[in-house]
Amino acid sequence: MAKAKMLTGCRAAAEGAKAAEVEVICSYPIRPYTAIMMELAKMVANGELNAEFVHGEGEHAQLSVVLGACAAGARAYTGSSGVGVTYAMELYSPMAGGRYPVQMTIADRTLDPPGDFGSEHTDAMCTRDNGWLLGWACSPQEVYDNTLIAYRVGEDHRVMLPQMVCQDGYFISHIPDKVTLGEMSQVKEFLPPYRPIGPLSLTHPVSHGPQIRPDQGAPMDAMRAQTFLAVPKVIEEATADFNRIFGRNYDPFVEQYKLADAEIAFFIMGAHSNTCRTAVDRLRKQGVKAGMARLRWVRPWPTHQLATALGHVKAIGVVETSTSYGGAMRGGNLIHELRASLYDLDERPLVTSFMGGLGGETIWPADFDNMAKVLTQAVKEKKVRNYVQWLGM
Amino acid sequence: MQAFDYKYQQLEPVKSFKRVPGPEMYVPGHRTCAGCGPALNYRLVAKAAGKDTIFIGPTGCMYVANASYLCTPYAVSWIHAQITNGGAVASGIEAAFKIAMRKGRHAGPFPNIIVMAGDGGTVDIGLQAMSAMMYRNHKVLFICYDNESYANTGVQTSPMTPYGAATTFTPPGKEIPEGKTLFPKNAPQLVIGGHPAVKYVATTTIAHPLDLMNKVRKALSQPGPTFLHMLCPCPKGWLFDEKMTREMARLAVETGMWSMYEWENGTYKYTNVPKKYKPVGEYMKHQGRFAHLKPEHIAKMQAFVDEKIKQVQRPIPVAAAVPGKQ
Ligand SMILES: Cc1ncc(C[n+]2csc(CCOP(=O)(O)OP(=O)(O)O)c2C)c(N)n1
Ligand code: SF4
Ligand SMILES: [Mg+2]
Repeated sequence: MAKAKMLTGCRAAAEGAKAAEVEVICSYPIRPYTAIMMELAKMVANGELNAEFVHGEGEHAQLSVVLGACAAGARAYTGSSGVGVTYAMELYSPMAGGRYPVQMTIADRTLDPPGDFGSEHTDAMCTRDNGWLLGWACSPQEVYDNTLIAYRVGEDHRVMLPQMVCQDGYFISHIPDKVTLGEMSQVKEFLPPYRPIGPLSLTHPVSHGPQIRPDQGAPMDAMRAQTFLAVPKVIEEATADFNRIFGRNYDPFVEQYKLADAEIAFFIMGAHSNTCRTAVDRLRKQGVKAGMARLRWVRPWPTHQLATALGHVKAIGVVETSTSYGGAMRGGNLIHELRASLYDLDERPLVTSFMGGLGGETIWPADFDNMAKVLTQAVKEKKVRNYVQWLGM
Repeated sequence: MQAFDYKYQQLEPVKSFKRVPGPEMYVPGHRTCAGCGPALNYRLVAKAAGKDTIFIGPTGCMYVANASYLCTPYAVSWIHAQITNGGAVASGIEAAFKIAMRKGRHAGPFPNIIVMAGDGGTVDIGLQAMSAMMYRNHKVLFICYDNESYANTGVQTSPMTPYGAATTFTPPGKEIPEGKTLFPKNAPQLVIGGHPAVKYVATTTIAHPLDLMNKVRKALSQPGPTFLHMLCPCPKGWLFDEKMTREMARLAVETGMWSMYEWENGTYKYTNVPKKYKPVGEYMKHQGRFAHLKPEHIAKMQAFVDEKIKQVQRPIPVAAAVPGKQ
């Protein structure tokens, strides 16, 4: 097996795309994801990767170019960060509705204002209701791995959906960590070539995307909803294959860290889970039965897996790194869906949330200690005092 | 700039109506208005381009009124694009065929890739995507079927709507008697002036079908991006008798409202230049969108056209010399 190298998340994403032999790439500069495109540009220039590298004139164009490329049968790749993700908003629904399994890699960045390079998940979270597969990595290794897993799932004929592969800006995108790249034989075994369904062709004329009658809308939407019901099985298969072929150990949906006997738990995704794991270890040493559940996929949302993994916990603190101003829980996004996932349990855990890491701020071990205090208190009082608290304020 | 070194189609000019290709690539069964200029245009373009073609259709009448209820009139491959991104979607398709040919998945010929965009999808919300496609030197023919308004949304003013036209966003009233007060953009000059990769641009109308088809075929035989600006009268938006669609396009040329030309690698060639231009009123009087205008407004339009047709005698110099074919 290949030796581990020290790579940033950006480099790892580019290596993943190269391993997937992407064929049409469309770029536009915005930090911090830019470094992914800079790496790919070099690979194409050096002849290491046989691909068309198209300089998009904006993110809207990036998505449009890869949509066209995918419709014409190419494996296509693009990416963005922050306001770049939202500038392309028009294209997310046609991409998913047209069942074009392109991949968009995202290094999260805070949305304006204020101008800020730090990671916040709101950029990609804004797109979550448009029918894409959406998930977060917590290390450069996982970025590489998710790039391959997402293509395999998205291009599966039971799925045929675009994928957003996210990593936190800076924390993952720009800090090198150990990454073991796959051998070409492993990649070939895991990821078959893209087999488009009804691509634009000269020999078999097709029409992509005609209008419908209103009564044709509901059945089409229902078909997509049905597809999403089928996705979890495909993710499970792909993850199992990936683990076997590459010698990894991923839970398909939720990383469960010291959860089995936990009384309090952090629910988290992305980079800050690394600090969280250390914090859990420390709390354990102090006699606090803490654990962590780290979400790998937001779409499809693993409702039942979460209920199973977290049902026995007494109090859960959702660490939110995205905003949902005016939402039901007055803070972030994840708590809404987590609470909904637990609602049907006979005995429900208490659930509160913490706004942290906004603007790219670090969440420190001490912050987790404070969150643990709030959760322990909730257990004692058998209720949560607040839906949300803002860390450090 | 990388040369385009894929085998692409060479379409010979059609010498006479008798030799027009038979197969219809835009077939009956669509839902455009009676007398729809853009629909007639589509038929002629598709016929001229032939079967090895892929159309990109940004949102507009030629999407909505054609591709309704999950059925479409295109006998060749066609894809809907957003009104915003015809040029970009076409770029991606072109890139995909390049890689498919490099990897031996597609033996050829390189498809005729045609964006069929309305005026809004060309010079307004679609301008950025078109411009970038041309800058990047994709082998794509971008067609602006110009019906001089945002027709599909109920006839609103676009940058191609003429001065003085009543649209639903420029209704004439006490304060603004002429309706539209602005003068339109110059679409072909936008392309010619700023896109060195483009070597062929032409204008035509649906009243000149042979000329139209040959310009399509010539544009498709170029190795890079090309642009055609086609006048397609719209009875619903312009409020004229639907029997007069061709007549409207012909009068536009005869009055100087529209000029027919080809621009090839820096050189202009004007055709169908009338010996004596008719007054613009001869064109405007048939159209309800101009019915509210007073003589002084028509005089203003005449002055605009008089200025415009001066360029016909004195071809517009190109700002920067365009390098010849390698
Ligand atoms: C982003 C976006 N904004 C607005 C619209 C609404 N819209 C649909 S068709 C259309 C008119 C298009 O005008 P044009 O390109 O001139 O084509 P025409 O309808 O005149 O044929 C508009 C504005 C849209 N589909 N997408
Ligand atoms: S509104 Fe005009 S362009 Fe649209 S279908 Fe009717 S005639 Fe054709
Ligand atoms: Mg129009």
